[in-house]
Amino acid sequence: MIAQYSATITFIALGAIFAYSFYAVLVAGQLSLGQAGFASVAAFSAVTLGPDPDQVGDLPALLVAIVIGMAVGAIAAVVLGLPTMHLRGVFLAIATLAFAEAVRILLLNQEWSGGAQGMSVPKIVTPAIAWIALAVVAYWFWRQGPSRYGRALAAIREDELAARAMGIDVGRYRLSAFVVAGAVAGLYGVLWAFFVRLIAPEDFGFSTAIDGLVTAVVGGSTMFLGPLLGSGFLTAIPELQRALGVEAGWIRPFLSSVLLLVVILFLPGGLASFIPRRVRMPPTVGEDFGSDHAGLATRLHQASGETVAELVGLSKEYGGVHAVRDVDLQIRSGEVVGLIGPNGAGKTTLVNMISGLVPPSSGRATVLGVTIGRTPAHRVAAAGVSRTFQHAKLFARLSALENVLVGAHLVSRPTFLRRMVWLTSARRDERESLEHAARCLRRVGLGDRATTRASSLSYGDQRRLEIARALAADPSLLILDEPAAGMNHVEASSLSTLIRSLAVDGLTILLIEHNVGLVLETCSRIVVLNFGEVIASGSPDEIAADPVVIEAYLGSAEEDPGGPPNGSIAAGTLADPTAGPDATKRV
Amino acid sequence: MQQLLNGLFIGSIYALFAIGFTLVFGILDRLNLAHPAVFAASAFVGIELVERAGLSIWLAIPLVLVFGGIVGLVVERVAFRPLKGRPDAHFAGLISSIALAGMVIALLQWRYGPDTRRFPAGSFPDTRLQIAGAQVTVVQVVILVVSIGLMVGLTLLVTRSRLGRGMRAIAENPNAARVLGVDVDRVTATTFAISSALGAVAGVLFAMNVNSAQLGMGTAIELKGLAVIIVGGMGSLPGALVGGLVLGLAEVFAVQYIGSSWRDLIAFGLLFAILLLRPQGLFGARKVRQV
Repeated sequence: MIAQYSATITFIALGAIFAYSFYAVLVAGQLSLGQAGFASVAAFSAVTLGPDPDQVGDLPALLVAIVIGMAVGAIAAVVLGLPTMHLRGVFLAIATLAFAEAVRILLLNQEWSGGAQGMSVPKIVTPAIAWIALAVVAYWFWRQGPSRYGRALAAIREDELAARAMGIDVGRYRLSAFVVAGAVAGLYGVLWAFFVRLIAPEDFGFSTAIDGLVTAVVGGSTMFLGPLLGSGFLTAIPELQRALGVEAGWIRPFLSSVLLLVVILFLPGGLASFIPRRVRMPPTVGEDFGSDHAGLATRLHQASGETVAELVGLSKEYGGVHAVRDVDLQIRSGEVVGLIGPNGAGKTTLVNMISGLVPPSSGRATVLGVTIGRTPAHRVAAAGVSRTFQHAKLFARLSALENVLVGAHLVSRPTFLRRMVWLTSARRDERESLEHAARCLRRVGLGDRATTRASSLSYGDQRRLEIARALAADPSLLILDEPAAGMNHVEASSLSTLIRSLAVDGLTILLIEHNVGLVLETCSRIVVLNFGEVIASGSPDEIAADPVVIEAYLGSAEEDPGGPPNGSIAAGTLADPTAGPDATKRV
Repeated sequence: MQQLLNGLFIGSIYALFAIGFTLVFGILDRLNLAHPAVFAASAFVGIELVERAGLSIWLAIPLVLVFGGIVGLVVERVAFRPLKGRPDAHFAGLISSIALAGMVIALLQWRYGPDTRRFPAGSFPDTRLQIAGAQVTVVQVVILVVSIGLMVGLTLLVTRSRLGRGMRAIAENPNAARVLGVDVDRVTATTFAISSALGAVAGVLFAMNVNSAQLGMGTAIELKGLAVIIVGGMGSLPGALVGGLVLGLAEVFAVQYIGSSWRDLIAFGLLFAILLLRPQGLFGARKVRQV
């Protein structure tokens, strides 16, 4: 009975290992089809370079071959990854597919690999060996998931730009995920070779790659058990059909395809979505923010009054349009600087430059000691700049708490490798990160929503979650890009209270906002942009009385004779018509 | 000269196939991997029409066009529309179209078996023409004329017609297009229909060119089609045309000067070089990053 199914059992394990090599990059949001190429290179080199099983014994020969294969797979991934890691989505998929095809054609035309006939290999792999290898691979991805590394990969998958703004070195993480995929694919290639006895380049063609991808996606590409479930499911279908007596050649592939379609259409998370997801919650301790940083790295913040950011003649041009022109601005530690201006005034472009996401066309800027333009965004973040986005860029499929944990990337320690060997220090670090994240959530009033998916939060809560995520990085300069957009006036005034309390803690804040009333009551200094240029700068009272500002907002007095000239901008925007009767429910 | 013409014939089929591919990608940002299955299916259907129904090959081509269009509507309805609005629509669309392709190929296997099929003898006129010292058959001329004609027609459709305006609006921003009164679902379905119709004609022309149809013919051209649309620039119609012709010519000359075993490497070498040097392709525009 068992013997009858031993090949099937082994193929489930091998298929799952191959699917894990797709999972390794899918968790980071990368679609690669090059794994078949890695497996091919690894299998052929390991069989060629490895020792003869007759001389050293079966198991040692297999182990050496596995080491060679995984190393070759990883090296191939580095070689392919370095030039292609800047590609995204389908482009990466096709580039890696081209690599796999090139490998196949090269091997077909080589003498040493036996050409189209391939090479014969002794059969060493037993079901037990295959399942042990699978267990090791699955263990790796199980421990990777809830570590700092795993969260960073998930963040890149959900929103690469936001991940970069949280200080994650996206290029390095994407490459490391790719290399892991290469090594796992190499492992698959070697095990496959030593199981099927004969390997040919055709075993690792386009359809093999598609099978691996399908297995990973059907199983579920955001949960570590997914590839195993997918492999079990897809390997079992033909067996089941055979057992049921379905024999005709075309019915089997047809039914398999129908099932595949059903799974992908009706089970968005793959088969793994049947498994309930455990959400970790921190113990509820430490109500106060900032005072208890035990275990987390703390930054050295600038002393009050020191220069945090210095912009000199900063300009940004988009194909002839001057989004920002010649802006000089100095931000000192402890200030709450408001940046206002009509739509299209260049506010967001300016903060994109300050946070390192967009290089300036001319001028220079130094923020917390780093030069803007040459420094990648994650380094700017590491220097202590943290921001929110005009259109909330949350990690949609992660919980609120996980979003904030990613925000704490820069102040927490890597835990993945220590989690692999169950070190208590890793557990302690994770707990401290969780507590820190929970404190940040409570600080913005989202303490009870920690386990909610970011995408299921209300709009106002999403804005506050973004602030919590930015706070978790313990920033020196916090940039808030229209945090009150879409909030009613009750939410807006509690936001104002929050921002002022952060300033009391010593944070330097740059606040972009259309709600001028909020800016006037929150900021210590206000800068007004119009058409990319600074038209006014000063204290809230000066700005509110400045005729140039009033003109920019309300048009000149002649065009709008009915409008009260002085201080009206504050009154006008504070009375938010959207604040209906339901506004009080949320308080 | 003979080689040049041969390259143009095969290249125009690649281009026609790739244009259908890139049309869906350029407008809807989805890669439809059922496209190669439509390519293969229509080759068999074309042969069936000529063999069983006794139609002339000239009548079979427009019928196959209609067949492809209908299959395209089915593909959109079954594999893509249900995924609308899902965060993983990109991956999921790939997989669902692969599943659909698997079903189509299985059905072909049921109907026609695994063997290679050919047009019945005497389906094509065997007149040969002399062009600048090279021999070409009427069939080859037809292939070139039909491909170029369809591609010109498509370009006019996209740039001049109301439907084309709708397509370009959706390519720019589906939500904005919907707000402005474009029936997004209908334009999407029509795009799939046109794309598949072109792929179907490419399939029957390919079968005419080599006078055979096999279950695996879609897979073979799929990779080349992907290479062509990358080389030409994802979503660029003139890019797919030029890319297809370049690939056809490069392959023919590679066989002559390097050897046939290396022919398939040409596509991927070209593809890789383009991806590294000019990721947006020869005719593609670099997208400005959205923050």
